[in-house]
This record gives sequence, C-alpha cells and structure tokens, in this order.
Amino acid sequence: MAKARKIIKRLKAVRNVRKITRTMELVATARFKKAMDRAVEAAAYTRKISEIVADLSQTMAGEGSDFTHPLLQQRESEKTAILLVITSNRGLCGGYNGGVLRLTQQRIREAKANQVDTKIEVSGKRGIGFFKFQKIATAASYTHFEDKPTFEQVDELASRYIDSFIRGDIDRLDVAYTKFETMSRQKAVVETLLPIGKLQQTTVAAAEKPKTTVEYEFLPSPREILEEIVPASFKARLFKCFLDAGVSEQIARMVAMKSATENADGMIRAIRAQYNRARQSQITSELSEIIGGAAALE
Amino acid sequence: MVGDKLRLVIVTPERTLLDEPVSALRFPLYDGDIGILPGRLPLIGRLGCGELKVTTATGEQHFFIDGGFVQVLGPTVSLLTHRAVPVANLSAAEAEKQLAAASARVAKTDEEIKTKLADQQRARRMLALATHR
Repeated sequence: MAKARKIIKRLKAVRNVRKITRTMELVATARFKKAMDRAVEAAAYTRKISEIVADLSQTMAGEGSDFTHPLLQQRESEKTAILLVITSNRGLCGGYNGGVLRLTQQRIREAKANQVDTKIEVSGKRGIGFFKFQKIATAASYTHFEDKPTFEQVDELASRYIDSFIRGDIDRLDVAYTKFETMSRQKAVVETLLPIGKLQQTTVAAAEKPKTTVEYEFLPSPREILEEIVPASFKARLFKCFLDAGVSEQIARMVAMKSATENADGMIRAIRAQYNRARQSQITSELSEIIGGAAALE
Repeated sequence: MVGDKLRLVIVTPERTLLDEPVSALRFPLYDGDIGILPGRLPLIGRLGCGELKVTTATGEQHFFIDGGFVQVLGPTVSLLTHRAVPVANLSAAEAEKQLAAASARVAKTDEEIKTKLADQQRARRMLALATHR
C-alpha cells in the first residue's frame, strides 16, 4: 500500500493548496472591485482639475500672459532626481512586482550612465526586500500604503516633493508603478511627474473639451488660482498613481491565483489517475500473490 | 442661462461626496464668504476653509470645507476641495487638539508663519463650527 498512500498524501496537499488559491482569488476579486470603485470616483476630481486648468490657460492665453509656474519649468540640467517605486506589500501576485522592479533597475542604470544622482524611495515590502537583496541603498521606504491609499497619506508625500522641487533639491521626480489601462491590460511604467509636462497636461485637457470659450469671473486673478491649482493637480496625479497601482495589484493577484487554481485542478486530475493506476497494480499483484500461494499448496 | 435650480457637485480627491440639486449655497472664498444663487455668471475661484451652507428643497445642510477650488458654469457648481466633512461629524476635541498643535509650533521663516496662521485659522473655524452646531 506504500505507494498509493504516498500519492493520496500528495493529492490532499494539492487539494489544500487549491482551496487557498481559490479563496485568494475570490478575495482579490472583491478587493479589486473596491479599488476600482475608488479609482473611478477619484477620476472625477482629476477630470475637474484639468477642466479648470484648461479654462485658465485659455483665458490667460487670451490675455497674452504666459502660463508659468515653478512646477512646470523644465530644469536645464538634471542633476538630482527622486525615483519613487510603488510595489505591493504582499506577494503572490504574479509578475506585478517583477515588472515594476525590472523597469526600475533599467532606469537606475540609465541614471548612472547620465550621472544623475538618483535617490530611490520605495513603497511596499516587496520592493524594499528587492532593493535590500540587490544592495541598492534607498532613501526612504513606506509600507503604510495598503490597497486603500488615502489622499491624506499621499498629500503628505506630495507636499514634501513639491517643497524639495521648488527649493531645488531635486530636478526631477519619477514614479515607477503599474498603470491601469484596461481590465485586461496593465503596464509597468516610469512616469515623470515633476516637472509637470506642460504640453501634455494642456493638450489632454483641451482634447477632452473642445468647447467655446466661457467668460469666467476669476476670484482672485487667474495667476493666483494657477499658483494653487498646479500643486493640486500634481497631488491628484500622484494619488492616481497609487490608486492605479492598487487596482493593478489586485488584478495581477486575481489572474495569478486563477491560473494557480487551474493548475492545481490539472494536477489533481493527474495525481488521481496516477493513484488509480497504482491501486490497480497493487490489487493485481496481491491477487497474483494469493493465486501463487494457493497453487503452491496444491 | 438663467435657471431656477442649481446643481451642486462636491468632489474630493477620493470621491464625489454630493451631487444634487440645490436652491442656494454659501461658502468661503479665499477672502470671505460668497453666496451663489441660480443664474450666477461663470466663475472660477479659490476656496478658503470654513462652513459650506447648502439650501435644498428639504432643508439645510452644513459642511466644513478645507481649501480647493470652485467652478460655476451654467447651473452647475463644482466644488473641488481637499476635505469636506458634514458639520455633524466634526469633533470639537479634535479641532482643539489641532489648534493647540498649530499654536505650539515655532515658526521662524515667513513661510512657516504663514502656514502656522493658516493652520490656526482653520482649526479655529473648525472648532467654532463643531461647538455651535
């Protein structure tokens, strides 16, 4: 019975693993739905901000004044930069962290080649572990961004970046995260958030609303509003990065766990067939032993 | 353009808090309160912090808002704010703590003094709203 027993044990183990992966898949699905809802709700804010920015820039262009802000200005030489890497706190989510970290490494190599002093900040235990293993020093690490990052948490981070950018401590801020494109497509990207790409922002906003100019009353002047709205827009963008990363993480986990469950199903089938065969051959050998024994007695 | 109804949309970075027809509203701009009635001309403004009073057909609602922007376009009023809390949810103790923290901070540069004053003012207004509701 020895072999069949062993196979049964293995079958049970695989079955247990399947139960776990199946549950994780369901949990990830529920979390994904929540994260998605949050992302959709937050999109309203970003949309509104870019709408106002578009209106502002239109009015200011009409007045002939130019559209400048310290956060919009491209530095002539980029010497120092911060690279914020957003990974997950938990594993078992397929290639989610791998994708982001691979891209990060590439970016770090590029920065070294261009002699840009890049400080690395990591969010998520997986990323922290990775950099520790690679012996790459990180300037800061955060683990408090779970799957529900709040705006307040991001705000704190964003204000610090804005301050150091305006002070001139950093010339650029990059964020490496997984961008959510569609349900079936998420891509690891490195985006430059500071300085805010001026053209990109205005064209996106302008493309959204091709409408006739509205004569707004501005309280206070457009310039002063602009001074406030540019940081707000940056914060909204950074917040969106975190939300996107959260949604993508759950999707990645969902997909990974789904394929793990399917794989376990296949294994269970194979092991069951193996077990049946072992059992059959065992019975056959026992039978022939009995028959042999009986024949010997005659 | 003149309608008899306004639609108020309050958007915070995390979610759309409110989206409903209202008859009038009052909220603080950067330099003082402003009232909006139906038929207001287009406006873009910077918000201060303080009380947002919304008058609807069924009664009045009060919120505490904390900075942001307002856009009035046609019948739609969009308030973009970092934080909007119904006044009933404000806690006086919390506001007092914030006020104490802001007052205790030592400000040396102009910038620091400015943020300190702003924080103090915000906490005072929050406290006033929390105690006099």
